[in-house]
Amino acid sequence: MRITVKCFSQVRYALEKDELSLELGPGKDTKDVEDLVREHANKKLDGVLLRTAVNRVYIKEPQELKDGDEVAFIPPVQGG
Amino acid sequence: MILTEIIPATIVPFPSDNTRREEGAELIFNGRVRGTEHDKDILFLDYEHYEGMAEQELRTLANETAGKFPIQDLFCRHRIGRIAIGETSLHVVIWSRHRKEGIEAMTYFIRELKKRVPIWKWAVLVSGERVPSECVHQD
Repeated sequence: MRITVKCFSQVRYALEKDELSLELGPGKDTKDVEDLVREHANKKLDGVLLRTAVNRVYIKEPQELKDGDEVAFIPPVQGG
Repeated sequence: MILTEIIPATIVPFPSDNTRREEGAELIFNGRVRGTEHDKDILFLDYEHYEGMAEQELRTLANETAGKFPIQDLFCRHRIGRIAIGETSLHVVIWSRHRKEGIEAMTYFIRELKKRVPIWKWAVLVSGERVPSECVHQD
């Protein structure tokens, strides 16, 4: 399956990309992808709390992914 | 009525309304860009958002606020992109019958906006350095 990871703020800064397109094996979940993102960030996201959204909705627990999903790891927001 | 917008342009305030007969409180909040970050002078703030999700979260929060507090209307405009010092980044107007519920609703809405609506800001310093904006809130 192929998923898209959207990158914002500190995640974009750490990965130097606006988005990633990842080919994943079956059964992978959001935690697997977060681990991958943190690994690629080369410690730049260490200590940064990331909330997870799948298809633009926050999730509270790791969620198994399906083909075409859009995932975002959301650093602390700063609106206002 | 609920009205929420995220726009990449100068915020035009919602007009005041002298025709209302039942709402005794009209609360207006303008969040403006400060001239310093991390005790350093800045040139401007640069706001980014998660398009689609930020709009949805803002709308959901506004509806939730209107359900939680007995207010009549909540209008909100949030600006994104480059915003100069002193300019408005967030404009909120709440109409309610009495001030108490309006003030409580305004406090709740802005506090939650800062927790959950996926909008971020970077400060561009006079030196040209780009740093995450740092906002410390007590609640």
